[in-house]
Amino acid sequence: MSAVLKINGTEKTFDDGLPSNVSELLTTLEIDAATVVAEIDGRIIERKDFEKTALNQAQSIELIRFVGGG
Amino acid sequence: MAPQIYFELKNAVVGIAGLGGLGSNVGVALTRLKVGKLVLADFDVVEESNLTRQNYFADQIGQHKVDASMENFRRINPDANLEGRKVRLTPEKIIEVFKDCHVIAECFDRPDQKQMIVETVLTKMKDAVVVSVSGLAGYGRSNEIVTRRVSDRLVLVGDTVSGTGPGVPLTAPRVGIAAYHQANAIAEILLNELHTKLAR
Repeated sequence: MSAVLKINGTEKTFDDGLPSNVSELLTTLEIDAATVVAEIDGRIIERKDFEKTALNQAQSIELIRFVGGG
Repeated sequence: MAPQIYFELKNAVVGIAGLGGLGSNVGVALTRLKVGKLVLADFDVVEESNLTRQNYFADQIGQHKVDASMENFRRINPDANLEGRKVRLTPEKIIEVFKDCHVIAECFDRPDQKQMIVETVLTKMKDAVVVSVSGLAGYGRSNEIVTRRVSDRLVLVGDTVSGTGPGVPLTAPRVGIAAYHQANAIAEILLNELHTKLAR
């Protein structure tokens, strides 16, 4: 069954169902978990909790990504 | 008489996490703005390769960046109130070192370090705003570096995509643009939003 999440303001459809948690979402999107701050419906999810934080249909997710240099 | 903004900024406390290309330049701008107190944290020493973009001088090679920056900022303002911390920042240290700061400038180089400080400030330091930078490598494309308000407590500067890598060096002009975006965002927050807090 397909499912939808809003990621950084854009709706993304998952044809094979939602990734089961934040970690899995990042793997699907090919994003290194060590370089992202994740916010779900306005709440910051700590990196240590990525694996145990389940995702639900229609949630709004902000992924703030960091690249090197400073 | 000094303009009103200098009076207002004198009670502000700003933390600078990392004194490389961003932090060493952000500190110069905030010193010239006469921000009340700066808390400077870095464990590194100045190397010759840093001189391509960081605010140090050839005769400071080998000095701790904290010491060299304090020396440089005091040449601008001998009365500057500076606290230097030679420390490798961990989540616990970030909370301790920057506990009195109204705003914290994330001036690290590595993306996982940037992640660590932004996450720590947003989840553990409820009163502080963090101004972070992502995407400043290379040269040119000045106008692709932007300041974006992500949320009440997070400002993100940069083009979000230009990381360092093979053939993509950090250069003085583009790092400088990002650093001054960062300093300008801090000035704006202190003057527009923390105004009432600072007047107390």
